[in-house]
Amino acid sequence: MNFAKSEPLSVGVELELQLVRAHDRDLAHESGDLIERLKTKEVPGAIKPEVTLSMIELNSSVQKGFTGIAAELDAQRAAVVEAASVLNLGVCGGGAHPFHDWSERRVFPDERFKQVVQRYGYLAKQFTVFGQHIHIGCPDGDAAVYLVHMLTRYVPHFIALAAASPFYQGEDTQFQSSRLTAVSAFPLSGHIPFVRDWAEFTAYFQTMRDFGIVESMKDFYWDIRPKPEYGTIEIRVCDTPLTVRRAALLAAYAQALAAWLLAERPAEPVRAIYQVNAFNRFEACRFGCRGAIVDPFARRKRTIGEDILSTVAEAMPRAASLGGGEALAELAAGVRGNYSAADWLRERHTATGSLPDVVREACTLWARA
Amino acid sequence: MQELWWFLPGWPLVIGQFVVFGALLIGGLLGGEIAQRLAGLPRITGYVVVGILAGPEVLGLLRTPLSGEARALIDLALGLVVFELGHRLDVEWLRKNPWLALAAVGESVGAFFAIYGAMLYFGYSPLLASGAAAVGTATSPAVVMLIAHELRASGQITERAILFTAVNCAFAFVALTLLLPFLHLEQEADLRTALLHPIYLLGGALLLGFLACQLMLTLAGWLGKREDRQFILLIALVVLVVGLARAAGLTVVVALLAFGVFARNLDYDHALLPLRFGYAGQLLFVLLFVLTGASLEFYGLQTAWVVVAVYVLVRFLGKAFAILVLGRLSGLRAGGAGLLSVALVPMSGVAVIMVHDTEALFPAFGAELAAVVLSAAALLELVGPLATQLALRHAGEAHPEDGAG
Repeated sequence: MNFAKSEPLSVGVELELQLVRAHDRDLAHESGDLIERLKTKEVPGAIKPEVTLSMIELNSSVQKGFTGIAAELDAQRAAVVEAASVLNLGVCGGGAHPFHDWSERRVFPDERFKQVVQRYGYLAKQFTVFGQHIHIGCPDGDAAVYLVHMLTRYVPHFIALAAASPFYQGEDTQFQSSRLTAVSAFPLSGHIPFVRDWAEFTAYFQTMRDFGIVESMKDFYWDIRPKPEYGTIEIRVCDTPLTVRRAALLAAYAQALAAWLLAERPAEPVRAIYQVNAFNRFEACRFGCRGAIVDPFARRKRTIGEDILSTVAEAMPRAASLGGGEALAELAAGVRGNYSAADWLRERHTATGSLPDVVREACTLWARA
Repeated sequence: MQELWWFLPGWPLVIGQFVVFGALLIGGLLGGEIAQRLAGLPRITGYVVVGILAGPEVLGLLRTPLSGEARALIDLALGLVVFELGHRLDVEWLRKNPWLALAAVGESVGAFFAIYGAMLYFGYSPLLASGAAAVGTATSPAVVMLIAHELRASGQITERAILFTAVNCAFAFVALTLLLPFLHLEQEADLRTALLHPIYLLGGALLLGFLACQLMLTLAGWLGKREDRQFILLIALVVLVVGLARAAGLTVVVALLAFGVFARNLDYDHALLPLRFGYAGQLLFVLLFVLTGASLEFYGLQTAWVVVAVYVLVRFLGKAFAILVLGRLSGLRAGGAGLLSVALVPMSGVAVIMVHDTEALFPAFGAELAAVVLSAAALLELVGPLATQLALRHAGEAHPEDGAG
């Protein structure tokens, strides 16, 4: 399997968005109408349908850094909000719709999506959750394998910084991010096996294909996976944030971390990364930045918030040279100020007294530049 | 012997309205299921057919479906539907999408003038023609809302069918009210009566709707966002407004429509939760359609079937024109405009009531209006639900489980 050429450390973002009805703020079934409407507009990047009619996906083009990502996502946001208003639809971020009924979901009329539903049954509809995927360009396959392993150590950071799905099926889950639980049900979720380099990974993939378990990399629902066709690795654990700016900040953080790891090679991957992974991941989903995780290298526990702040400090010089210094500073300030999208959603729920109101306010927040 | 059995009732039993309504409910329920299971027809069609069978023209179980307690039930059921309809008239949407606003108004105006022109052609007086046109402009709110509920439909065609129905009902009521002065003058009434009557009707209904809305918003704000409490509050206020409108001689549906529109658009603090009528609503709606079925009159079909056919046809074309012209501009996907036009075909309950209310005030006028309009309403009461169901299913907006047919 060839690992395509890409601009090292370039970034790209995919954002899955919720489409909601105006009259009751439940999920709409109108992605087809919205996408057709957007076809008539000049919008940078790409806007695509997703498996259910209640979501659309924004794809940025390949960007050099924070400024480009932020500007492009904002242009897409504005175009989508404008087109949605013509159809009286609300658009919002967040990792899960707070009160939709998964059995009400309808599948986008497309062969591939129909196959997904046929194969996975109710999982496919329950999978109506909304995530942000971040692509980072890698110089080669070996670098990609190294990055996937090393970034796994930082998966709790991305979960905690993006966590925006405290409500699910009408209930407060007590989690900061309930979305990832929906992913775990899939047979090919989890993480990459502990392979040393691209050759070993290719052999693993070949074996899985010979078994008839997978056909392409698309079939792995891993937290972080190599994407050889693009020459990137893809981080898939983030909930869609409540604003495009936050999404761009997360992309800048991923880029800075990758730059720092590839340039300084602060450590070599160890199996301990995966021994602590499930525990750390749970802490991040459940408690966000307040969770305590185990550092598999230093072999000690500390809160995710503290861990993020010290990592930001390490990666800052790289971020600055990539034009993302300001972004990382903003992210760190948020951690110090205890910002959390999940807490904001809970706070709005307490203030307004109903989940439809929470969705309405999330739509207003999203529509703002 | 006589003394021994004193506790037995006299024979034959005096059957009260309750027994009749209970029986109608069972009949409607079974009719709806039969229509749905055997023929894949909308349940509503089953309710209506049961009503026709029970009505004065066939079995005669229900002799006066539009008076007394039956009329009160109709007003209540229709009140609920029309309130929900008004609650879906989102002024903000019309403001953000002016082409949509134009299409909605155009749909009403198109239907009105298409019917008006056709009636003039058949030699009816301008006054009678405009009466027939005003009544025909309205799409049946009950049919559109109930088919949408039954199919669990959701999407652009559904939303727009509901929105356009709200607009064309409002248009029809206003148009019919504006005709009143001319009717009064025709009957050589006092000029002051001619002018004050419509002002009272429209102003009174708007005021009643506004006050009910303010009361509901205040109480809902105090009760908090609990679905159960807000549901009771809503039913209570709908019953109250129906009662007050009847007492004050106002048009019940207009007051409820205004109530709904105000409740949607004046709820700045978002005090109200999204509406859900559930089983309680469905119960009333079964009765509504059985009673509507019983009140259908087909006699015009024998005497004036050409006029009736033309009426139905030009009404459809008049409605479709603006929708087809402005469809794409207002954001409908290809093919959506045609489906929306078909979804708006139903005409019924409200039209029948408008004709009867007019007949009560102006017997001669009402009777002449009735022959054609009531026959058209009867025809469309049977065809309309099917048209809406077909349109929403074709649009792919029905819930897959309910929309497989």
